[in-house]
Amino acid sequence: MNTHHQKLERHSVGFAIAILLVASIGGIVEIAPLFTIENTVEQVDGMRPYTPLEQAGRDIYVREGCYACHSQMIRTLRSDVDRYGPYSLAAESMYDHPHQWGSKRTGPDLARVGGKYSDAWHVAHLNAPRDLVEGSVMPGYPFLAATALNTATLPAALTALRRVGVPYSDAQIAQAQRDAINQADPDAGYEDDLIERYGDKVQIRDFDGDPNRVTEMDALVAYLQMLGTLATLPREDAQ
Amino acid sequence: MKSDIDPHSGRPTTGHEWDGLKELDTPVPTAFRIWLLASFGVCVPLWLLYPAWPYVSDYTRGFLGYSSRDAVEAAVADRARARTEALGPILQGDLETLVHDTALKSAYQQKFSVLYRDNCAACHGRDRTGQPGFPNLADDHWLWSGSPEEVEWTVLHGINHTSDDTRYAEMPAFGRDEMLDRTEINAVTDYLLHLNAAPHDATEAAIGAELFAENCSACHNDGAVGGLETGAPSLVDEAWIYGGDRASLQQTLIHGRQGVMPGWQERLSPEEIRMIVLYVLWANNDDG
Repeated sequence: MNTHHQKLERHSVGFAIAILLVASIGGIVEIAPLFTIENTVEQVDGMRPYTPLEQAGRDIYVREGCYACHSQMIRTLRSDVDRYGPYSLAAESMYDHPHQWGSKRTGPDLARVGGKYSDAWHVAHLNAPRDLVEGSVMPGYPFLAATALNTATLPAALTALRRVGVPYSDAQIAQAQRDAINQADPDAGYEDDLIERYGDKVQIRDFDGDPNRVTEMDALVAYLQMLGTLATLPREDAQ
Repeated sequence: MKSDIDPHSGRPTTGHEWDGLKELDTPVPTAFRIWLLASFGVCVPLWLLYPAWPYVSDYTRGFLGYSSRDAVEAAVADRARARTEALGPILQGDLETLVHDTALKSAYQQKFSVLYRDNCAACHGRDRTGQPGFPNLADDHWLWSGSPEEVEWTVLHGINHTSDDTRYAEMPAFGRDEMLDRTEINAVTDYLLHLNAAPHDATEAAIGAELFAENCSACHNDGAVGGLETGAPSLVDEAWIYGGDRASLQQTLIHGRQGVMPGWQERLSPEEIRMIVLYVLWANNDDG
């Protein structure tokens, strides 16, 4: 019974080929589905690339490590759907690089937090979480409201995203800085430009309550208020 | 290369020898090998029963037809059906009657509180008594009337929200938008402090009273008693949303306020909204 094995492990070339064969099965299982991703990510109406302000907020979300405590994926479990809303679809993460699904929750899932609370709540809560949520262990981020948003890197950021498949147009990249600043200024008269480039679900408000400048708080709250508001879910379609 | 037998253990060796050391060639125990092969074997029926193998544009669905999406939707539908059976007839009734139904309150207050805590407590507090910037729901002071239908409307459509039927209210930025200058704002502040029996300058308050009548009473009512159900609160009832001290009043007068309450129509079912309305109103009739 051991003779086959003995023969195999005593022939270096044969054994190397056998190792390659077995290891390549693991590789194929992981890589092959990527070739069919066009077919496995279902089509969902309403998805669009993030506006520059939302993308800047997303970068802050990643920078501050929010994903370490907050997931952005509502699982197909009744308890998740009851608390957070309809389960997440793959298409809702199609422009995420990297995605923020997360693997554990210390705080709640944020996949559909957009519109659940007011901007003022988000600002107060990010400044000092325990002022609003008793017993919260979330750290405060008061420096966001005091830090002007750096928009200079946005065209380069959008270009990088375009290289990995996010369909930003030349106009969207060229206007990234203006788009970011004016999305946080409802008095700029810039609504038509933003809607033309990003569709009519784009939210234009002074998110942080400070009309004098655009801060990192504006960007992060704009991102949070957009989460889960883009896709038209199949269940809504049916209604 | 021939293997030989190790005299101490009685087992064969690999036949190699390194500086007088030989290596035993002990096979994996037979029981383990059988167990390993059996676990491979278990995969086969699982492949047949459950979704398993992908191909170009689809995947094998399995004979059980299991789908985690269908499963969760069935579970959610079951829950909704059970809730409708248990609560449907009750929740369809007249809200005004339900609010005063003490048996209903003692039976369901605890259950409804879960829904409130998941959705409302972040702003209005777990005990429904509000937080700075977010109104107290338990003190029987209402911006838009405390009738159950009006409270339900607010929960459905929100205040200053994006929905078409939302309630709209804005405290103008009298200072920032240069409708009142700094001395006038001070005078109005003194008038409000006077109304609330707080330390104030009586001369200033008299000037403030006139300014208030011209600029503020259209929304806040004569004497700042509120009650016009326009979203403008009474300023004499000691229930402050943003604070009734001098600094907070001036902040409000200079920069204005436009509190936002999200509408819940898209997030919660009509039944769930009624549960929340009842839970909120029950906080106002603790004696009943």
